[in-house]
Amino acid sequence: MEAELIAARYHELQSYVGWTAADAERIAAAAPLLEPFLPLLVEDFYAEIQRHADARKVITGGQAQIERLKGTLSQWIRELLAGKYDVAYVSRRWRVGWRHVEIGLDQVFTNAALSRLRTGLVRALQECWQGDAAGLQATVRSLNTLLDLDLAIIEDAYQAEYASRLQRSERLATLGQVAGGVAHELRNPLNVVQTSVYFLLNARNPTPEKIGEHLRRIERNVELADNVISSLSSFAKIPVPTLRSIAVEALVRAELEINAPGEGIAVTVDCPAGLPCALADGDQIRIALGNLIRNACDAMPQGGRLEILGRASDGAVELSVADTGIGIEPQNLARIMDPLFSTKARGLGLGLAMARSIVEKNQGSLRVASQPGRGSTFTIRLTAAPKEQAAT
Amino acid sequence: MTRQDAKRILVVDDDRDICRNLQDILTDLGYRVDTAHDGLSGLELLRQRPYAVALLDLRMPGMDGLTLYRQIKQERAETVSVLVTAYATPDTAEEALAEGIWKVVAKPVEFRKLLELVGEALDQPLVLIVDDDQDLCRSLWDLFRDHGFRVCLAHDCRAAQERLEESTYRVVLIDLRIPGGDGRAVLEMVRQANPQARTILITGHRDEHDELIRRVVTEGTDAVCYKPFDVPELIKTVRRLARARQNGAEGSAE
Repeated sequence: MEAELIAARYHELQSYVGWTAADAERIAAAAPLLEPFLPLLVEDFYAEIQRHADARKVITGGQAQIERLKGTLSQWIRELLAGKYDVAYVSRRWRVGWRHVEIGLDQVFTNAALSRLRTGLVRALQECWQGDAAGLQATVRSLNTLLDLDLAIIEDAYQAEYASRLQRSERLATLGQVAGGVAHELRNPLNVVQTSVYFLLNARNPTPEKIGEHLRRIERNVELADNVISSLSSFAKIPVPTLRSIAVEALVRAELEINAPGEGIAVTVDCPAGLPCALADGDQIRIALGNLIRNACDAMPQGGRLEILGRASDGAVELSVADTGIGIEPQNLARIMDPLFSTKARGLGLGLAMARSIVEKNQGSLRVASQPGRGSTFTIRLTAAPKEQAAT
Repeated sequence: MTRQDAKRILVVDDDRDICRNLQDILTDLGYRVDTAHDGLSGLELLRQRPYAVALLDLRMPGMDGLTLYRQIKQERAETVSVLVTAYATPDTAEEALAEGIWKVVAKPVEFRKLLELVGEALDQPLVLIVDDDQDLCRSLWDLFRDHGFRVCLAHDCRAAQERLEESTYRVVLIDLRIPGGDGRAVLEMVRQANPQARTILITGHRDEHDELIRRVVTEGTDAVCYKPFDVPELIKTVRRLARARQNGAEGSAE
């Protein structure tokens, strides 16, 4: 984060806790009194760290590093007491939290360590205080507020850095997942292309028919590879839907014509008369429906029953696609709609993710129920169109 | 009795295009190639006849390539199997090799390399082990594979008969005592069906079957190895006999 922004955040926190110039003055006045105690406080601080394995393990540079860190801590306390809380000061505080993420020091140790320093500083102040009790009380209060502010800004930095690192590593993990899925889908057509080229270059007596066959095969597989890229990019950008009143039964029938289930699959479509129209983008919903139908058929390699039912359900239209296929294992059920998750031998694993994404963009929802060995039912729920609107 | 072609290769891949391509290329080079698009039909083909080499796709609907291989190893241990995969993690490769897969090859396949592998596999001398002790067979399988032999297994007389009729072996290791007969019966089968094969009698009964062993030796086995095996000696003997056959020499080739 930029220094100015961090400073602004710190000043916002200052006003939140009611920090004033008077507080800064009290701290500055106490600084010379506390100075003689600093070496002892620092010694105590690092002795304590040595007693905790998790805190100790982040110090990898041995005694030399501890000596260096003692210097840094003394400097930190002096700055704390100097009474000047400008942009540079806040930036250095921010950097402490950032650095802790880098070396893997959990924030709880910073909290605990600051508590220990706080106790030490307050005790030192009580020992050397020469003014009245009210003055001491006010100074201790200022000191506490100041330490709380430091802790807040360090923790803020810690969290921001931690979150950004987590996001980065998640992005990398996703990238790995994409790479795996894409690799598989691209390398298969590439493999065909490569072997056909090998045949064309090396076959001893290829007939003209064989040559033509291999050239057509290359062409077809280049197209397959291209489709992989297209489906990835179309998943990445599903356009904003144009919501219209659509008759779901007509939609189902049209889609069944394009995605005709194979032999051995009995199809039933049942939409009651008077089923309201749905308010959705028909072209998009058809893509989602097509994916569900294809999945249902894939789940029934030995044949079975495909049942598509429409029903009205308070203000919504539900369309369920049920199969009597292999079903989904419970451990996969939660992930089944994740992009690039697939239990099939072929395919990127975008079908259901695409269906869900489309349905959600159409202000609907997609849910699934499944019993391994019995079959699965996917249900699209869409808003019902107002009655007076005519179906298109 | 028709001896199957020794240069027979099985390709199992759900991608029909790649099956056709491999078939075209390998056929052009003089191999006999059969293809299957799923594990079960691949297994059907394997049950009908032996294949020297199987090229198996890892990711297929239904039965994946590795599961298919486990079944192949049970039924046709002599099939040298190459697993072809578009995206193998080191873990899958390691698991496949531990199961007995010979090589794991990445897609797109580097064809020259694949052809070299096929050639190399076909050059490996084929050895038949006839022994009802399955654990011993598995150990010998690992051992001989490691030393560059193709290893066929038969656990009883009937299986031995079938195996001897369908392939040509360089060396046959015969347990003296097996279900459905004894070593002498198997020795006779070898003489009938695989007369060029050299034989090694393997037995754990050094003393009690002295007489039987003596007779078998008289009847013309090439060597006798006693259990537990002196492994380096066993390997040496098999290698010597496999080579002797290859050179067309008679008797000891040392």
